[in-house]
Amino acid sequence: MISFDFMYFQPSSITETIDMYNGVHEQGEKAMYISGGTEFITFARTNKVYADVIIDSKGIPECNVLEMRNDDVVIGAAVSLNKITNSNLFPFLGATVKQIADHTSRNKITIGGNINSELIYKESVLPLLLVDARVKVVKGTDVRVVSLKSLFDRKMKLSPGELLLQIIIDSSYIELPYISLKRTKFSKVGYPVVSVAAILKENQLRVAFSGVCDYPFRSDEIEAILNDSTIPIVDRIDKVLGNLPSSIVDDLQGSREYRSFVLKNVLLDVMEEMEMGE
Amino acid sequence: MANKSWSTVGKPEQRIDAVEKSTGKVRYIGDYSAPGLMHAKLVKSTQAHAKIISIDTTEAWKMPGVRAIITGKMFPFHIGPILADRPPLAFEKVRYYGEPVAIIVADHEHQAKHATEKVKVVYEPLPIVNSVQQAFLKDAPLVHDNAEQYTKIISDVYPKASTNIGSHIKIRKGDFDTAWANSEETITATYSFNLSDHVAMETRSTRVEINPAGKVIVHSCSQSPFTIKKVLNQFFNVEVGDILVHIPMVGGAFGGKGTVQLEPLAYLASKAVGGKVVKLEFDREEDMTTAPCRIGFDATVQLGVTKEGKLVAGKYTYLLDSGAYSDQAAGITRAAALDCTGPYNIPNVWCDSYCMYTNHPFATSFRGYGHPELTFAVERTMDQLAEKLQMDPLQLRMINGIKPGHTTPTQTVLTANNIGDLEKCIHRAKELIKWDEGQKVQSGKNKVRTKGISTFWKTSTTATNAQAGAIIIFEADGSVNLNCAAIELGQGTKTILGQILAEKLGMDMNKVHVTMEVNTQYDPHQWRTVASSSTFLAGKAVVFAADHAIAQLKKTAAVVLQCSPDDLEVGGGRVYLKPDPTFGVDIKDISLGYTYPSGHSIEGQIVGIGKHIQRHLTPMDQQTGFGKPGPWWSVGVQAIEIELDTRDFTYSILKGVTVLDGGTIINPMTATQQMRGGMYMGLSYATSEKFVFDEQGIVQNSDLRGYPMLRYGEQPTEYLVDFIESPAIDGPFGARGIGEYGVIGAPACLANSLSIAADVELNELPLTPESIWQKKKEGTK
Ligand SMILES: Cc1cc2nc3c(=O)[nH]c(=O)nc-3n(C[C@H](O)[C@H](O)[C@H](O)COP(=O)(O)OP(=O)(O)OC[C@H]3O[C@@H](n4cnc5c(N)ncnc54)[C@H](O)[C@@H]3O)c2cc1C
Repeated sequence: MISFDFMYFQPSSITETIDMYNGVHEQGEKAMYISGGTEFITFARTNKVYADVIIDSKGIPECNVLEMRNDDVVIGAAVSLNKITNSNLFPFLGATVKQIADHTSRNKITIGGNINSELIYKESVLPLLLVDARVKVVKGTDVRVVSLKSLFDRKMKLSPGELLLQIIIDSSYIELPYISLKRTKFSKVGYPVVSVAAILKENQLRVAFSGVCDYPFRSDEIEAILNDSTIPIVDRIDKVLGNLPSSIVDDLQGSREYRSFVLKNVLLDVMEEMEMGE
Repeated sequence: MANKSWSTVGKPEQRIDAVEKSTGKVRYIGDYSAPGLMHAKLVKSTQAHAKIISIDTTEAWKMPGVRAIITGKMFPFHIGPILADRPPLAFEKVRYYGEPVAIIVADHEHQAKHATEKVKVVYEPLPIVNSVQQAFLKDAPLVHDNAEQYTKIISDVYPKASTNIGSHIKIRKGDFDTAWANSEETITATYSFNLSDHVAMETRSTRVEINPAGKVIVHSCSQSPFTIKKVLNQFFNVEVGDILVHIPMVGGAFGGKGTVQLEPLAYLASKAVGGKVVKLEFDREEDMTTAPCRIGFDATVQLGVTKEGKLVAGKYTYLLDSGAYSDQAAGITRAAALDCTGPYNIPNVWCDSYCMYTNHPFATSFRGYGHPELTFAVERTMDQLAEKLQMDPLQLRMINGIKPGHTTPTQTVLTANNIGDLEKCIHRAKELIKWDEGQKVQSGKNKVRTKGISTFWKTSTTATNAQAGAIIIFEADGSVNLNCAAIELGQGTKTILGQILAEKLGMDMNKVHVTMEVNTQYDPHQWRTVASSSTFLAGKAVVFAADHAIAQLKKTAAVVLQCSPDDLEVGGGRVYLKPDPTFGVDIKDISLGYTYPSGHSIEGQIVGIGKHIQRHLTPMDQQTGFGKPGPWWSVGVQAIEIELDTRDFTYSILKGVTVLDGGTIINPMTATQQMRGGMYMGLSYATSEKFVFDEQGIVQNSDLRGYPMLRYGEQPTEYLVDFIESPAIDGPFGARGIGEYGVIGAPACLANSLSIAADVELNELPLTPESIWQKKKEGTK
């Protein structure tokens, strides 16, 4: 039960959505976009989030696209994780998001909601960072397509009122070898202790992490280390652990020390699966 | 073995609630709404142990829709099922995080909830008792200052002044000290079993009204309708006859809905708004921490044996984390003591079982009632002992298995009727898990497969006067209605009782209508639907009710057929002459009395009544534990095969086996479901479930985001269940209880298999890859 009163709207166009957001804002009230709404509902009932007005982006046609357009895969921000997996348009992304939550929740959770989640995991971002995805965002009347990398630093750097519309992936990445490995506390359904996604492009390994630090990341330094075939693999992995962008998370899912143990093992598995051996 | 001439008993009849449930049509308590219904929400403690300095409700009163605010000062009394130590609303101080501090009644649920956020409570923190070991220390802070002064509701409870001991149960059988001194091999080990939650799908919910005539009408999802009456009478001075309790189908309970917590709160709420109907429904977080959870358990087990592996001495120290109030933990303390040895024949037994107060959420019954916990400790010790003796762990269990002629720790003499056949269970489980193919095999690079086993037993520790009754009435078409206060909580009890009645009357199941709802005004008294006791107690009541109806049917039919009642038999919807079954009368023609062509009528309707009360049960002697605590012991064996990755300690459960001797199995399909569901539940808390507390005693994972459990689909790949059916002569068709049993051995056999696989003793739950890694690390240092 959500105890506070709020208004709910589901506009059917981008303009209407933006106007509504700005209108609410001008009245000094708090507006919030939602797509799947699962995070909003679960946080609101424990007062971890508040809004006077909820603007549901699921009515916007652009946010519901899921198709190949010329040489691009285009995924609307309001598309559910299950739809992405089932479409098989981009198997790497499909496999990664299939490890998030449980089947029933994935019917509701959207990719836009996952990328913009308040939680530290945002696992769907991992493959997207590796394939140089672009995102289409709108603010006011200004629609722009930019690289995800330029907007994502620990989290999406959207300004207030800015809306994520679509994710665009160059189809040349689709055929690349990939792996997506997630370790949880015990049950398959759970937040990651460590989640790692990797692809091989032109014999170079690209890797992104979630659950390791308190944000998802991809790091040039780490990739350089892992691709350095002059060093034995175990040493490369040790070196990666010394070059993480911040300290390892220590929480209910796993202690810091345990997470580093798991990370080493998962990296070994990644290297083996991707045939990166010496 | 099942009697082949039975037509319904022993058959896999479909559960009578299956269609309604699978189509989503069942209305649970929380589904109810009606105009004028008011809603109560709780203000809960944010501290685990603190003085309440003040409660300021000014702002809350200003919120829309608020009709009443109740605080602990308005009912400063203690209630409880065994020891009355718990105020329904905290007053003076709070003793756990999540404890109810105030109730707000409003027109709408969100209004009530919103207003609770405006209540300002000022606390003065007190030192926290955050573990049973700490609680046990000499100068530990006291959770209750004068526990010894609380009113005892049941005799077997012994709070100790100036300590955190809520009860201490002793077993003294034989001469432990001498036997221990003379043992040729000994082992001592300690264990710890975490606090966890029931997590029934349906959260607890109730609604209460006080009608203008002064009747208190309660609707609740409870396992204890008659206890609700008792509590409202005992502590709130309402005449027992003025309290009406309705229980619809319950969406899972697992013991957690045996406690009477919400009903008194909703009663106070209704009273505060002039008797209007007030609904109190717990959110998941409240259901997990405000409502009672499962005990925590620390154990030290000492076993002494001969060189040949014959157990001669056993000493057991059990510390139960009962949390802030003793509730059923006091009873579990007793249950753990009286079955302390597991199903083994040990002549010299010493047990100290302590119910310890801490500043954790309070604990109540949970499927197994202390037995999964004690079995974990005992069965881990048996495995470690077998290793010391260099003996096959199964062989060690076989040598010591308890049998008719032996006595239990409380010195009850066992007979072929009151205990199942453990040896047969061991043999069957051994076959099913393929024990002889090896307990540990390498199954791949960094992979080992291992098998672990656990025996278990449990008696049903009911009140000594626990009882049930049944009433059967007939329809004009000869079909029959069964009314009985056993509650359907998903365990299938109503189906089982229907089968017993159908068998007795020789009728088809579809001619037996079992009333699902329980109503204390027309259902005969039943103790409670707990302790795996309903098949036995209510089943026997149904048998007697059927006999009573049969006698009446025969009497009427004898007049109609002009013969003696002794000449007659009932079956197939008819009453007929034994020597010539074609000569008879349909039940439909006599069920509401027989009417002659002339219009004259005789005998009137058939009403069958039946009842059963436990016989020869006694309390336990305070000094030695001597007594007869339960009517029978069901026994069983569980086994598990796992595969462990020895590099990263992830593992999967490949196979689960349960073999139970619960006497005659009335319905093999529902019984199998019970064993599977039970084992799965046991595996969930053995692998995952655990409340985490910070240093202030605050629960860190009081929601399902943070509280891990197994999900549907994560059961063992292969899941075998079998039954040994040594009938209990005095049970209905030879049945004993089975409801809780599937859960009991699961944690122990998981820990046994993983200890072998990881090559380290794993004596703490839950067993996550991280906890195994941690133990390995400590072990190799
Ligand atoms: C059972 C369960 C398990 C989970 N396990 C995992 C896990 O293992 N890994 C993981 O990564 N996550 C996990 N999650 C978290 C889940 O992925 C996130 O909570 C996600 O945000 C929910 O998506 P939604 O579409 O419902 O979000 P919403 O509630 O709709 O929105 C979430 C946030 O995103 C913002 N937002 C939504 N759409 C847009 C948009 N188009 N533009 C800008 N901002 C937007 C909202 O304002 C809000 O702040 C789990 C969740 C559940 C319920």
